[in-house]
Amino acid sequence: MADGKINITINGIEASVQKGSYLLQALRDNGVAVPTLCHHKDLTPSGTCRLCVVEVEQRGKKKLVTSCNFPVRGEIAVDTESERVKTHRRVLAEMYLGRWPNVPLIQEVAAICGATDKEKYRSELTDENPKACILCTHCVRACDEFVKERILDFAGRGIKRHLTMPFGEVDPHCINCTSCAYVCPTGAIEIVDDMNNPVNPQMIRDFGMKINAEMATLDKDQCRMREVGTANIVDVMDAYDLLPVHNYKFGSHPDTKNIDSKILKAKYFTQDHPDGCWKGCSMACAKAVDGFELRTGPYKGDRVVVDGPEYETSAAGANMGCFDADFIVEWNFYCDTYGIDTISFGTCMAFVMEAFEAGVITTEHTGGKELKFGATEAVMECMHEIAAGEGFGVEVGQGIRYLKEKWIRELGADADFLQDIGMEVKGLEYSEYVSKESLAQQAGYTMAVKGPQHDEAWLIFMDMVNNQIPTFEDKADALYYYPLWRTWFGLHGLCKLIWNDIVPLSNKDYEPQVAAKVPDHVEDFFRFYEGMTGEPLDEEGMLAQSARVHNLQRVMTRMLGYGTRKDDMPPFRAVGPVTAEEYESRAERYDKQLEELAGFDMKGKSTEEKMKAIREYRMDQYNRVVDAAYDRRGWTRNGVPKIERLRELGIDIPELVEIIKDDQE
Amino acid sequence: MIIVNNRDKVEWHEGMTVQDVLDAMGYDYALITVTVEGTLVPEDDYGTQTVPDGSNVGLFHLAHGG
Ligand code: SF4
Ligand code: SF4
Ligand code: FES
Repeated sequence: MADGKINITINGIEASVQKGSYLLQALRDNGVAVPTLCHHKDLTPSGTCRLCVVEVEQRGKKKLVTSCNFPVRGEIAVDTESERVKTHRRVLAEMYLGRWPNVPLIQEVAAICGATDKEKYRSELTDENPKACILCTHCVRACDEFVKERILDFAGRGIKRHLTMPFGEVDPHCINCTSCAYVCPTGAIEIVDDMNNPVNPQMIRDFGMKINAEMATLDKDQCRMREVGTANIVDVMDAYDLLPVHNYKFGSHPDTKNIDSKILKAKYFTQDHPDGCWKGCSMACAKAVDGFELRTGPYKGDRVVVDGPEYETSAAGANMGCFDADFIVEWNFYCDTYGIDTISFGTCMAFVMEAFEAGVITTEHTGGKELKFGATEAVMECMHEIAAGEGFGVEVGQGIRYLKEKWIRELGADADFLQDIGMEVKGLEYSEYVSKESLAQQAGYTMAVKGPQHDEAWLIFMDMVNNQIPTFEDKADALYYYPLWRTWFGLHGLCKLIWNDIVPLSNKDYEPQVAAKVPDHVEDFFRFYEGMTGEPLDEEGMLAQSARVHNLQRVMTRMLGYGTRKDDMPPFRAVGPVTAEEYESRAERYDKQLEELAGFDMKGKSTEEKMKAIREYRMDQYNRVVDAAYDRRGWTRNGVPKIERLRELGIDIPELVEIIKDDQE
Repeated sequence: MIIVNNRDKVEWHEGMTVQDVLDAMGYDYALITVTVEGTLVPEDDYGTQTVPDGSNVGLFHLAHGG
C-alpha cells in the first residue's frame, strides 16, 4: 500500500483513499454523489448545513457524520444510502424547502433528497425571496480565507441567525473585492457597480477568484507569501548557496538562521492581517514589525512601525555580514525613512567593507569607522551620514562606480581588483543573488536595461539547479522570453508575484520546460488583459507588445551613451572566484569544472594558476552566451538593436534609426 | 549510480525512492517537479516510488521570488 493511503469500504466496495483527506472528497473521487449545500471546493469545510451526512461504521459502532468535514483517519465502512441517512437528508431538505421555497439551489437539492412537500415546514420564517440568504457561510469564509478580511459574519442565535457586517452597518474596511458575491450561491449578495469600466468584468472576476482560491488553499504549503512574505526566500537561497555573503564572495553562512524567515516570523512580524499593495490583493505579502524601539539616529528611543523586512533587505544584511535581525529591522526603517534603496546601499556597503578589509581604504578615509563585515554600528553611522550629507557618507551615497573611480584616482588603488569586486553594471548596484554558478543569470543581470536587477530575468534555478537550458541557444531563448514576459507586467502595472510565487497544482502535469513558464497563470494574465480591454491576447501578441518597449528602452540607453557590449560586462565577482579564499571555499566545484569541462590539467597547479584558468574559461563562456542572446534578440554583436529588428516591430521611426545607424554591422 | 538533471551523480542503493534522491541532493524546496526517465512522478508517491539503478531523474525547481 502506497504511503499515506488507507483502505475504506464505500457502500460495500473497497477503495483506497488518502489518509487525512475529507470523506466527502474521497467519496466524490470514487464516483459517489452526496448532496451538499454549505460545501465549497475552495473553502475550509464548515459542517453547517448537515446535508452531506453519511453513516460511518468504525470498530463495530455506527454513527452519522457530516462527510464534508470528517477526516479519514482509520479504516471505516461508509454507507451513503442507508435508510437512516436517506431519512435524515429528506427531513432536512424539507425544512430548507419550507423556509426558502423559491431559491433555485434549495429546490434542486431538495429534489435530489426526495423532498417535494413545500408546505410541511412552512412557518412565519418562510422567505419567498428567490435570492434569499440560506446561511451557507460561503461569503463569511471567502472574506476570511480569500482576502483575510473578516467583514461578514452571522449575528443572532437559532432562528434569528442572520448575515451582517459589524453592528449592522456598512463596514468601511470592506475592500470591495467581491469574493463574497462570487461565492454566494443564491444571489443574496450582488455586485451593483464595477469600477474602472472593464469590458468584461465577469472574465476578470472568474480568473481573479481562481487565484484567490489558490492563495487560500496552496500558499501555506508553497512559498508562504501570506505568512512571511518574500522573507521566505532567505531560507531557500542560503540552502542553495545563492545568498550573497560578504560582498558576494560566498552563497551561504551558518548565521543565516539569525535573519531568516523563521526568526522574523517568531520574533518580529506582528501584523498577521492583509497588507497588500492594493485593496483586494489576496497574497498580501507585505509584512510589518510594530513597536520597534530604535537605537540610533534622529528617532532614537522612539517606537516605530517598520514595513518589512523583505528578502532583498535581509539578504543585503547577509551581504554586509550583518547577521543580526535587530540591525536589519532598524536599518530597514531608516532606509525607508531617508528614501534610500536597501539593495543599492547594502551592495555598495558590502563593497566598501571588502575594500576596507583588503586595505584599499582605512579608518583615515572612513572618518574613523571600522567598516569590517558585520560592523552593524558603523553601518548605521554611515547611513545617518548619507542622509545628513556629512563625512564618509557623502562618498558612499554616490555608489560603487563613483567610489571605484575616486579610489583609483586618488589612492592609486588596484583598478583591476576594484573592477572585480565592485558589484555594479551601468552604474547600478547588483540585487541580492549570487550568479556565479548560472551563466544565464550572469547575462540576465548584465543585459537588463537599467542595470543588474533581477526583474528582467531570474534564471538561476532553471539554469544552475535544473540544468534545463544547457546549450547557449537554450540560454539565449530564456534570455529572450523571460525579460519580455517580465517587461509585460511592468507595461500593464501588474504584479508578477501571483504568476510564479503561487503555482496551481496542475502545473506538475506539464513537462519541466513548459512548467517553468507556469502556463495556466500566463493564460490568467491574458484573460485579465482581455477582460479589461476586450482584445484577446496570446503569447505572440504579448511578446510583440513587450519587444517594442524593450527595444525602445535599449535604443534610449544608447542615446544616453550606454547600451553596447562594454556596458553589459560583469565584474568578475558575478562570474567566478576573485580571491584565493573564495576559490578554496568551493574548490571541489571549481576543480571539477576545470577538469571535466575546460579540460584543464590540474597536476601540480597552484590556486593562482587554477584561478587564472577558471577566469579565462568562465569569461569565454560568458561572452558566448551574450553573443547567442544578442543574436536571439535581433541585436548586433555589440548589443545594439538592428534596424531590421526595429522594422519588424514597427518602430523604425527616423528618430530612433538615427541613434543607432552608426552602430550597425 | 543515478543521474540527476543530466549532470549530477547520486550513489544508488537497493530500494532507493524518489524521496531518498531528493534527500541525497539536499533538495527540500516546495516547488519541485520530479521525473524518472522522463515520466512525471506525483508528489504522493515520492516516498514509495523506487528508482532503478542507472535512472535519469529530473528534479526541477520552479523559480519563485526574483
Ligand atoms: S467584498 Fe471582500 S472584503 Fe468586502 S465583505 Fe465581501 S469578501 Fe469581505
Ligand atoms: S449571503 Fe450568500 S454566501 Fe452568504 S451565507 Fe447567505 S447565501 Fe451563503
Ligand atoms: S456540506 Fe457538509 S455540512 Fe454542509
